[in-house]
Amino acid sequence: MTDGLPVVPPTLTRVERAIKASGRPPDDLIALVPPNYGRATVEKIAVNAVMAGCRPEYMPVVLAGVEAMCDEAFDLHGVSATTNFSSPLFIINGPIRKRLDVNCGVGVFGPGWRANATIGRALRLIAVNLGGARPGVISMSTMGHPGRYTYCIGEYEEENPWEPLHVEHGHAPSDSTVAAFAGDAPQGIYDHRSRTAGDLLTTIARSLGVVWHHKATALGDTLVVLSPEHARTIAGDGWSKKDIQRFLWELCQKPVKDLLAGKDGGEGLPEHVLAKIQSPETNETLIPKFRAPEHLKILVAGGTAGRFSAVIPGWTFPNGSNLVIKKIHSRD
Amino acid sequence: MPKDDRYLDPTDSVAVPRKTAPRPTTLDGKVVTLLDISKAKGDHLLDRIEELLRERTAPKAILRRKKPTFARPAPDDLRQQILQESHVVIEGLAD
Repeated sequence: MTDGLPVVPPTLTRVERAIKASGRPPDDLIALVPPNYGRATVEKIAVNAVMAGCRPEYMPVVLAGVEAMCDEAFDLHGVSATTNFSSPLFIINGPIRKRLDVNCGVGVFGPGWRANATIGRALRLIAVNLGGARPGVISMSTMGHPGRYTYCIGEYEEENPWEPLHVEHGHAPSDSTVAAFAGDAPQGIYDHRSRTAGDLLTTIARSLGVVWHHKATALGDTLVVLSPEHARTIAGDGWSKKDIQRFLWELCQKPVKDLLAGKDGGEGLPEHVLAKIQSPETNETLIPKFRAPEHLKILVAGGTAGRFSAVIPGWTFPNGSNLVIKKIHSRD
Repeated sequence: MPKDDRYLDPTDSVAVPRKTAPRPTTLDGKVVTLLDISKAKGDHLLDRIEELLRERTAPKAILRRKKPTFARPAPDDLRQQILQESHVVIEGLAD
């Protein structure tokens, strides 16, 4: 029933306090949690939130997180059962970040902030206790990753030169939201010397080029987390988010002849794709690594000092997991 | 501490752990479905299993079915079809 770490005992008093803070009746059904389809009522969510160490006022975020990861488009069934690395990453946007002291800045993927640590942990416990995602039983991830203890960040909107993630997805800037994204562990990108958008994004594109493996194609939602310094360099050259997505997408294309299985590694284009291509050994037709530029989700987070960014590979098969974003319904 | 401060259950007590169906003692005379989950080389594995089944057993029929994607559960109509037409299912993982 836990992640191996000690938990806060879910006493009736604590759970009732959490339910009250949610502003919802205890029996309200928020979602059925795949793959076992346990009933995530407000009360069951509160029990897990208490165990994770959440303050009562975090409850509206946890409820929205449950809605997001249980949405059909997220495919929690696959994410929880796969042999892949993936784990739901939760991204918080909007004014609630400040009210709950959600870390968006220095060490954003690391420890030190109760909201990030316990909201992510609560959602993980819910996936296990209500969804059945127990390691080695249903959760068959070969490697897992440390984000399976907790994986929750805020977007650093104040350092974001562009519109934040939730506004890009149709929410008002004054809304607070939580997004669920099925992600591997962050993969670091170092670039201290680029001073133009083109140079910096070329570095990022070459790092994106090895996501999954260097010949992987047809990938979907993938997260690019730009540090504030990197974001400033790119925006300073007048580039929009769409410009970034298009540039990265184009640079991540490779010719068919460089994507053959057995040449530079056993992986490569699948047989049913190769069957439609003439003379693949010499074919220069460019094949994109990502299905469309929009699948590259651009986010700004991390400390204000340091020219580092991160890529988070997704669980992105066609019909696999998509980023899902839900509004947080908070009473204040 | 208040009087009634018991611990609450974080799991869904309604969700009963599923039990597997009784195992058949023989495949002779049975309709066996080989379910390909659409992973790379899953068909290789199932081809070989089909060969071995035909060699070593006498099933009434061996049916081949395929999920549209390994990333999601089998669609309801496929599950119903398999349920109605077969006694035994062998699901082929791969990679």
